[in-house]
Amino acid sequence: MRLCNPKTKTETGFDYVVHGLSINTPYGRKRVKAISAFEPGKEEALKEELLRLEKTVELVGSQPGRVEELLETLQEMKDNSFTIQRSDNSVLSVVELYEIKTLLLQMDKVRSLLDAADVEVPAEFILQDTTALLDILDPGRERINTFYIYDAFSEKLATLRGEKRRIELDIRKVQKEQKRKVEAAYGISMTPKFEYVISKADKQLMEKTRAIPELTLLDEDYVSATFTLKSDDRVDDLKRSMERLNEAIEEEELCVRERLSAEIGAFRSMLLENCTAIGELDFNLAKAFWAREHNCVKPEIVKDHVLEIVEGRQLVVEDILQKKGKQFCPVSIDLRDGVTCITGANMGGKTISLKMVGQCAMLAQHGFYVPCTRARIGLSSYIHILIGDSQNLQRGLSSFGSEMEELKDILDRSKDGALLLIDEIASGTNPVEGLALTRSIVDYLSGQAYISLITTHFDNVSIGGKIRNMQVRGLADVDFELLSREIRYANRRERIEIIGKYMDYRLYEVADNKEIPKDALNIAQMLGIDRDIITRARKYMEDRKR
Amino acid sequence: MGILNQLAQKYKRIAIVGMAKNAGKTTTLNYLIEEAMDEGIVIGVTSTGRDGENTDLVTGTDKPRVYLDAGTIVSVPVQLYELADAGLEILRMTRYFTALGQLMLCRVVDSGYVQIAGPVNTAEHKDMCNEMMDLGAELILIDGAVDRRSIAAPATSDAIILATGAVLSRSLKKVVEETLHILSTYQLPRIPEGELRDRIKTGAAQDRIMLIKGGRSEFLDLKTSLTAGRILDDAIDQETEWVFIPGALTQSVIGDIHPSKLKGVTFVLKDPTKIFIGATSWQQLRKRGFQVNVLENIEIAALTVNPYAPLGYSFDHRELLTAMREAAGNIPVIDVMYGE
Repeated sequence: MRLCNPKTKTETGFDYVVHGLSINTPYGRKRVKAISAFEPGKEEALKEELLRLEKTVELVGSQPGRVEELLETLQEMKDNSFTIQRSDNSVLSVVELYEIKTLLLQMDKVRSLLDAADVEVPAEFILQDTTALLDILDPGRERINTFYIYDAFSEKLATLRGEKRRIELDIRKVQKEQKRKVEAAYGISMTPKFEYVISKADKQLMEKTRAIPELTLLDEDYVSATFTLKSDDRVDDLKRSMERLNEAIEEEELCVRERLSAEIGAFRSMLLENCTAIGELDFNLAKAFWAREHNCVKPEIVKDHVLEIVEGRQLVVEDILQKKGKQFCPVSIDLRDGVTCITGANMGGKTISLKMVGQCAMLAQHGFYVPCTRARIGLSSYIHILIGDSQNLQRGLSSFGSEMEELKDILDRSKDGALLLIDEIASGTNPVEGLALTRSIVDYLSGQAYISLITTHFDNVSIGGKIRNMQVRGLADVDFELLSREIRYANRRERIEIIGKYMDYRLYEVADNKEIPKDALNIAQMLGIDRDIITRARKYMEDRKR
Repeated sequence: MGILNQLAQKYKRIAIVGMAKNAGKTTTLNYLIEEAMDEGIVIGVTSTGRDGENTDLVTGTDKPRVYLDAGTIVSVPVQLYELADAGLEILRMTRYFTALGQLMLCRVVDSGYVQIAGPVNTAEHKDMCNEMMDLGAELILIDGAVDRRSIAAPATSDAIILATGAVLSRSLKKVVEETLHILSTYQLPRIPEGELRDRIKTGAAQDRIMLIKGGRSEFLDLKTSLTAGRILDDAIDQETEWVFIPGALTQSVIGDIHPSKLKGVTFVLKDPTKIFIGATSWQQLRKRGFQVNVLENIEIAALTVNPYAPLGYSFDHRELLTAMREAAGNIPVIDVMYGE
């Protein structure tokens, strides 16, 4: 059973990480396609996967020069797995043989680079020795990346080619002799290729040339005629044996290709295994580089179903902020089976925190490092993020309708050990029913062995004790005087940024009866909503309280 | 010293360009390749890639099949490798692609016929030529464009060999005159390095007609000058010194400019291939004081002549050769048919 749906992969930012990996080889790309989650019970396997990554991170950190060389070699690799497969029962072309030789040289390079590394290299990256095959394809042991059906591949071929060259010379010798005779006899001059070109317009010369018995018309177009030496018996004989030789050479070249293909075929599974190892190496290097660039740490994997994240960051948002020269405010959270509600101000980053938790859980469970300073994670059986998106609206469903449809799906699929991330459920309907529905969902979920993290605006969702409440600090500690003075002269974009600057995104655990801070009207006012409207809204609030 | 040796001393990359179709471009290429064999120079052979439009519909493709001697470095697409009659040692798989697959650089081991192809992109072409030189080519011959107007020179080569011949006209005098016209336009003064050149090059990026009046630059809202003669005539005043035209320079543009204004200004073009004015009109304009400079020139390494025209007429080859040699000054002229 799959861990999550595609939307969860996208919304948490897991896909963002996968797409951001800089993979160098086609084998690495194949490996990326095979990324899969480690289910609960597979903790040991995941730990091994993370250990491989840890060793790779070490390699990258301690041997930058060697890794640089490694990457250069990887970047040049082409996908030859089809050619390798084919070698078993077909004859490879010269270009294919060249490509295999190239691959062997590259494998040799990778192998020796990893051999020379001063840190422990995971066994999965180690390539099997294919020198024996390389020696066959490189009989001169020159280790230069060129290829041809060299004479060295077959003594017979060398002999045949030598003979061919001799005959070529013989023919040329005979023709030169003839050329001299003809030139002397008829006072004409022929090209070094034994040709005599004349204009067809010159009828007289044409007649004269046609009459020369030693010449024959080789080629003519509407402009000129090209004559060449008529071959005599000697030349004919030589040319005939040349033809035979050419056939024999072609046949022998085919034999050599057959032999070489069979030799490659014998190494087929070893080569394919090496390709897999290269893919594993490439994939891990990409993960290691990514982890270093994004300050990620190795998560501690535990048997219990817990999620402890210290100073976690959501990478999609962090990257956007960094491009603007700003920093992500890290958020710590500690979750275990049961329901945790996040409440707090608008623009307080509740949804981002939800996504951050999802991203960390997803990354850890797929064998990646995690963007935080420390993580202790137990594997989930099912992960789902329920969050509003525009896709369902395009399908013609109302936001409430699609939300309920998805909720049903979640509740049907969830089993013990699930991780559910729910963003502002039932906010798209009337507050009376919305609150009631949210409460009953929370009640239901708190009875299950799931980790449920729910963001909401509703007060008093969590009556009943078993529920933990987290609150975004928000604008609670802010001097509103200062803030509104700063915001007064700002333009639209600046206003949002100023609010962001004052906002405290961190989460705090609060007692369950504490009322949620009401910052919505403050923020609406700061964003420039008409003063009358705000005042009237405040009045309605007062009325309701009374 | 043979002609190839002489060329190799001065240039690294030479493109062979025809004045017109059937001017003898492929004959020239084959001639030079043969010369290289005799002179023992290691050459690289490639071609400028062409897009679909330039494909010869009559012969199907326009990739010449040339006979190459052992040692020659040549660019061959993967799909044509197996079709080569020559024995080719694969030296390198390049990063460049053609419609017929990835290009490989090969060394001819066993002489024979090869179909060549090269990258379409100018920058890639340059890079690939450098790679060929790394592999030992002393001189690179590029099978260039059929028509001189579509050549990408000066970017792809150091110099060109211009193939000209009877195909241009039935009159030998006319053939010489047309060729001479091209020679003289290719030798127009190049704007030297300096403030003016920098100013024009910066302005050229805008791709608009630019007038320089006493140190000020003024742009016209016209991309080409095709119908712009009158507007241009209006814009040129006493102060105007230079007029940069990004597109084609045609008879109609110049015709609309008042003759008295022509004397005072110098027209600047990107390179000589932008000139679309015939030999006779060009001469008349020059007499009236018309001046043209260019940003980049095209160096002509040699001229080749072909005395035969496909329509059936021909010139006496010696007469054509002599007339052309007289006209060409110190540019070598070769008759590729007779090897003189």
